[in-house]
Amino acid sequence: MSDARRVLTQAAALVALSVLVGAAVHFPLVGRFARGEFRETFFQASDYPGVRLITLEEAEDIWRTQTAVFIDARRGGLYSEGHVPRSLSLPADESARTLPSLVMALARVGTVVVYCEGGDCQSSLALAKRLHEAGCRDVRVFTGGWEEWRAAGLPEEKSGAPE
Amino acid sequence: MLRNKGVRLAFRLVLGGLFVYAGAVKVLEPLAFAQNVRNYQLVGQSLSFVAAIILPWLEILAGLALILGVWTRGAALVVTGLLVFFIVLTAVTMARGLDVDCGCFGSLSRKSGWSVVLEDLGMLALGLALLIAPKKR
Repeated sequence: MSDARRVLTQAAALVALSVLVGAAVHFPLVGRFARGEFRETFFQASDYPGVRLITLEEAEDIWRTQTAVFIDARRGGLYSEGHVPRSLSLPADESARTLPSLVMALARVGTVVVYCEGGDCQSSLALAKRLHEAGCRDVRVFTGGWEEWRAAGLPEEKSGAPE
Repeated sequence: MLRNKGVRLAFRLVLGGLFVYAGAVKVLEPLAFAQNVRNYQLVGQSLSFVAAIILPWLEILAGLALILGVWTRGAALVVTGLLVFFIVLTAVTMARGLDVDCGCFGSLSRKSGWSVVLEDLGMLALGLALLIAPKKR
């Protein structure tokens, strides 16, 4: 084998090995990607400057004192099955269409708390970032989401708009 | 100078070490790195993800090969290729006026800019030296 060819073969082998090792090591992530995750955003709080992540306690406190508007970023169907009382439904994937009109109203409200299903759901962060970019100055993400809210036995509301 | 075994070894260890380190910090936080790639606004979400899965390992494996002295020139080719890509990417990013974290060394990264280009050029010199170095006897 010529010298140049050997060097190229080695380089190609390194690339192929990287693909294999990367796919093997990050197998769970690759699986999640294959199932449709990460198409909207990669979860990383540090990539959302100006957006604060809050815990269940903080969310509950804000909700009880009614000092913020809660926004449910999940799909409409899930929202009707049960949501945080007095929350608005703004599915993250539809927000591009509905956002402009809402932001005007939300910007005046002050604090906005966004949540989605929980676990490491991405839509609340994606929506929070969009809200922040659109002009909402105080956007918080309740990362525990609906799952945590429900598990804590906090009040819930079913279907329809709250007001 | 490049015939000097000690110099070659030093080049290999420095360059290989830097690449292994750069790859390792990215492997630890694949999604953060994926977001980093995405921030360059060059490729979409899916390609950013794929790059975040493969690229760190390419850095690690090429770096390891350099350190161990296995497939040295193939690894040097990979490393120089990556560095040329990084330099072009950084230049394009600056030209577009994007404020992007370079993503070079995970959380130790800083804003993409001239210092990154200089650093990459330094590493590129080492990589090229190893790539074109006369064959071991």
